[in-house]
Amino acid sequence: MTTAKLFFGALTGIAVFAASAVLAPATVSAEEVTLQLWSRADRSGPLRAGNIVAAADQLNRMLEATGSETRVAIEVFENNADGFDADALDLFKAFAVDRGPDIYVLAHEWIGAFVEEDLAFRLDEHIEANPELYDDIIDTLWASVAYKGGRYGIPQDSEIRMFFYDKEMLRQIGKDEAFIEGLPAMVESGEFTIYDMTDLAKEVVDGGAAEYGIVHRPNVGPDFQMLMKSFGIDQYDADEGKLQISETQLAAFFEWLKYSVDAGVIPANMTAWSWDEVHASFRTDKTAFIKFHGIWNVPAQLETRGLTDDTYFDAIGWTHSPAAEEGGEPANLSHPIIYAVSAKSEHPELAAYIVGLASQNYLNTEHAVTTGHTPINHGQAAMPRFIEEGWALRAGAPMLEYASFMPNHAMIGQYNAIVFTGIEAVETGRLEPKDAAAFVVEELQAELGDELIVLD
Amino acid sequence: MATTDPSSAAARRQLANMALFLGPATVLLFMFFIAPVVVDVFVAFTDMGRSLEVTEFTTANFERMLTNDSRIGPTMAVTFTYVLLTLGIFNVTFGLLLALATTAVPERSGAFFRAIWLLPRMSPSVVYALLWAWMIGPTDRGLINQVAVGWLGLEPIDVLSNQPMLLIVLANGFIGASMGMIIFTSAIRAIPEHLFHAARVDGAGPLAVTWHITLPALRWPLSFITVYQTLSLLVSFEYIWLITNGGPFYDTMVFALYVYKRAFENGQYAYGAALSLILVAIGIAASLFMWRLLDMQRLLQTPRIEVQ
Amino acid sequence: MSATLPSLQRARPASGRGQADWDALARAGSRRRAIGQGLLMAFLVTVSVPILLPYFWMFTISVSARTGGVESAVLWRSIGILVPAVLALGFLNLLTEPGIRRLYAAAGIVVVAGTTLAWAIGPDLHLQNWAFLRDPNFVENLSGRGAGTVEAQFPSVWTAFGNSLMLAGVQTFLVLSVATLAGYYLSRFDFQGRASFLQALLVLHAFPAMTLIIPIFLLMHWTGLLDTITGVILVIATLELPFAVFIMKGFFDAVPWDIEMQALVDGASRRRAFLEVVFPQVKVGLLAVGVFSFIRGWEEYVFVRTLLFDKQNWTMSLYIFWVSDDIMGVDYGVVAAVGVFYVAPSILLYVFCQKYLVQMSLGGIKG
Repeated sequence: MTTAKLFFGALTGIAVFAASAVLAPATVSAEEVTLQLWSRADRSGPLRAGNIVAAADQLNRMLEATGSETRVAIEVFENNADGFDADALDLFKAFAVDRGPDIYVLAHEWIGAFVEEDLAFRLDEHIEANPELYDDIIDTLWASVAYKGGRYGIPQDSEIRMFFYDKEMLRQIGKDEAFIEGLPAMVESGEFTIYDMTDLAKEVVDGGAAEYGIVHRPNVGPDFQMLMKSFGIDQYDADEGKLQISETQLAAFFEWLKYSVDAGVIPANMTAWSWDEVHASFRTDKTAFIKFHGIWNVPAQLETRGLTDDTYFDAIGWTHSPAAEEGGEPANLSHPIIYAVSAKSEHPELAAYIVGLASQNYLNTEHAVTTGHTPINHGQAAMPRFIEEGWALRAGAPMLEYASFMPNHAMIGQYNAIVFTGIEAVETGRLEPKDAAAFVVEELQAELGDELIVLD
Repeated sequence: MATTDPSSAAARRQLANMALFLGPATVLLFMFFIAPVVVDVFVAFTDMGRSLEVTEFTTANFERMLTNDSRIGPTMAVTFTYVLLTLGIFNVTFGLLLALATTAVPERSGAFFRAIWLLPRMSPSVVYALLWAWMIGPTDRGLINQVAVGWLGLEPIDVLSNQPMLLIVLANGFIGASMGMIIFTSAIRAIPEHLFHAARVDGAGPLAVTWHITLPALRWPLSFITVYQTLSLLVSFEYIWLITNGGPFYDTMVFALYVYKRAFENGQYAYGAALSLILVAIGIAASLFMWRLLDMQRLLQTPRIEVQ
Repeated sequence: MSATLPSLQRARPASGRGQADWDALARAGSRRRAIGQGLLMAFLVTVSVPILLPYFWMFTISVSARTGGVESAVLWRSIGILVPAVLALGFLNLLTEPGIRRLYAAAGIVVVAGTTLAWAIGPDLHLQNWAFLRDPNFVENLSGRGAGTVEAQFPSVWTAFGNSLMLAGVQTFLVLSVATLAGYYLSRFDFQGRASFLQALLVLHAFPAMTLIIPIFLLMHWTGLLDTITGVILVIATLELPFAVFIMKGFFDAVPWDIEMQALVDGASRRRAFLEVVFPQVKVGLLAVGVFSFIRGWEEYVFVRTLLFDKQNWTMSLYIFWVSDDIMGVDYGVVAAVGVFYVAPSILLYVFCQKYLVQMSLGGIKG
């Protein structure tokens, strides 16, 4: 019996050996280079990842034309995070466990943190060697990829943020057209303050035209830095290269939040809403007067309200974030998204070229026009498609005058996260504005240590 | 005088047996219980951050823990409140009530209701949390509000914003009550029938029967459940994470969840490891306490045969 | 038992003759009992309804929701029909004698309830929410959404299902084999350090493993087991071991020594005696540990969330979590359908193996 076992064992072994020899892959003549791409799954930006794939296709066509067998493949990983901040944290974790990508889509203010962890490839040489790809990029955008004197990313898009206000509701409570149309100008001149905005929203709510006065995003994000700017809060000390905070100004900001919540304008549980509810609240059958969001929301608004480019501005108007005090300046914030290349990549130059191809006029316009983001190249404004479909972007362009970027400091992510907990505390009534401001400053000092200057 | 050969052969066989039977368990337990504790102590003294790299050894984490973290106190307070309420109202009291009620009705009905109450524990945590989230929805779409607003004519209730502690106590309590219910039930069923008959014949009403016969028999299970569930509640955070995520602001941020977030969301792994040591210390202390509590003799029941 | 029956004597009616009115007393007693039982049943029903209702609600949403939101119309209508039907059947059971007439009456109630149900909610039922079973790109086809990602936003649900099956199954097998071996040895052999081993197991049993999640994450990373189902299997199996070993030891302790002795006397080796004689006796224990272990592996969330990254490694718990997460817009009908799909195996297993699970918890403390 044992000999039979031995015999069959040997037979199996030979069979396995033979099979593996036959099935072993023959040396492949074509070479395939695979690059990994990390992007956030975001309905308002699928082409951020899509353009990289398209750029790789373009490169492959060029390679085919040269007769080369080499091809570039892109492996896409789309992360389910609820915001760019959460996404950046997930990306850090991926890098830490050696699952980092070659190319990644990033919110610009996080680039400092990635450079400090040695995860971003410095692109200055590449940019200077390829003016054909990068010379047309709008100058001001380069600030968004700069950190400590070097450029570590390529701008991918930018946007304008605004208070969307529902003109129909204002008509319902009896405001005249002059007021309704003149509101943006009043905000811009500093006549109409952020407290006036709350009072106006209260009028709309009390008049029964809306259920909620102002809705904003329910998670961490640049919107709050824009509101803070209205209160004169400047996050960055450029001379020292450090972040800064003023407790009194922060308390003033929190006072306005409390004022709005007490007036029934901002719902107390705003920070617990889901994105779905936030979007749903700004439809005609739903009930928010003002939605504080960004220009990329316009395509969705067109769809849910059944508007066209002709009828849009009859229904909805845009303003900056109004000044906190009369005579002050309104605030606007632009939040570019960037492409970055990993310093740990095996093919950083190739990755950079793919990014460069993805940043050309045609692909970027595809993204800008379908999702409502502003272009990165001067030339895009002259494209027929842009002229035809980019009416919203053109309408918003003047607002960029008051726009600035957040600083690219390595710890700004933590700064914003801590401020958000303060916002949450004030809106839900857990802390009074002064206590919340003290809480935020205390936490900031604990986390940021020397990198924080406390002004007062 | 035994020759060395047979006894060493026996000794080798004994070792072989021990390796075969106890080996796998020992290896696994060492790898995932003992080794992690050692790693935890090690990492707590480093500066491991988002990059998972260790560059220096430092006691900064402990300094921060003792002097510079204002979240530790409140989260400990939340944890204790949560544990006391859940344990007191649900795990022990309600579990006891259910056990008493389901043993007082006919057996088939009793078993049926016990089966229903074991359901939350048996269903996947994500689904259970999802059902809670749908029930408490603040608009009139939430099931609780449909009843409250539609039938009882009250204002819509937003328990997530206004009573988050109540929410997590309820959600965890429904799960916790089932374990006590099962153990108390089996203890009650073990009470000899004739005691009940005798008591009734002697004129005892149901309450007197419960007080004099049932409860004394439950003394040991009650203490077991209290200690065991206190420990597991102190360190559990899964349902809280899924339902309130720490609650509005820090209202339901129990200590274990706070540690988890510090490490995995903020990337402060070394600090998280240092904080975990508090939990580990509590865990070890409580486990040793439980060891004293249990009847070791029964457990150490002498084996059937001697070693060969 | 010599009978002084003070309570009965006290209850003697004042009809003087010293004769207790037994019938009246019996009736009073059974009335009291009936009221007591009724109150208890009412209490139990009241506290059990909040447990069952949400599961039924999830089921109705999965087969009727259209707007993508959480809907309850179908739920209330079905409750309105089913509750009276169940109550009617209950009363029928209590108040009538078994027999052909009862059967007809019950059938009649069922038919009436069924047709009313079909009329009330039939038109609202549909299976569109279940599209995720055949189409991994179901998100795109949800009304008004369109593709938000370059590739499918979620992996195929069958991938997740397969991963969950593998996780729960392999982990159960591991726990059963390791715990059986260890439990047998601890039950039958006396060796140096046995007492310490048991004490250590007891401490580990009570020790909360969740506190070690950070170092376990690091260990997984350093051994290359991060983002693998294998790693998660090992972790979860180990965490259940102390409990399982105690249960199996308890079952082995209960197996009569004579049977095993007999086999040894008949010339079988220790190992053969174990396999052929003792093993079949503890099948019940194996079933209990196995079912408990499988359900635990099926529902695992915290460890898979921490230790797994790649979408192809998702288990059902991660799949439903991300489908219900709202970054891209949630369709609650689909979430409910996924929920029903995910919960069904647990519930089926639980319903059919209930008595084993109850035994399980007993074994836990009695050792």
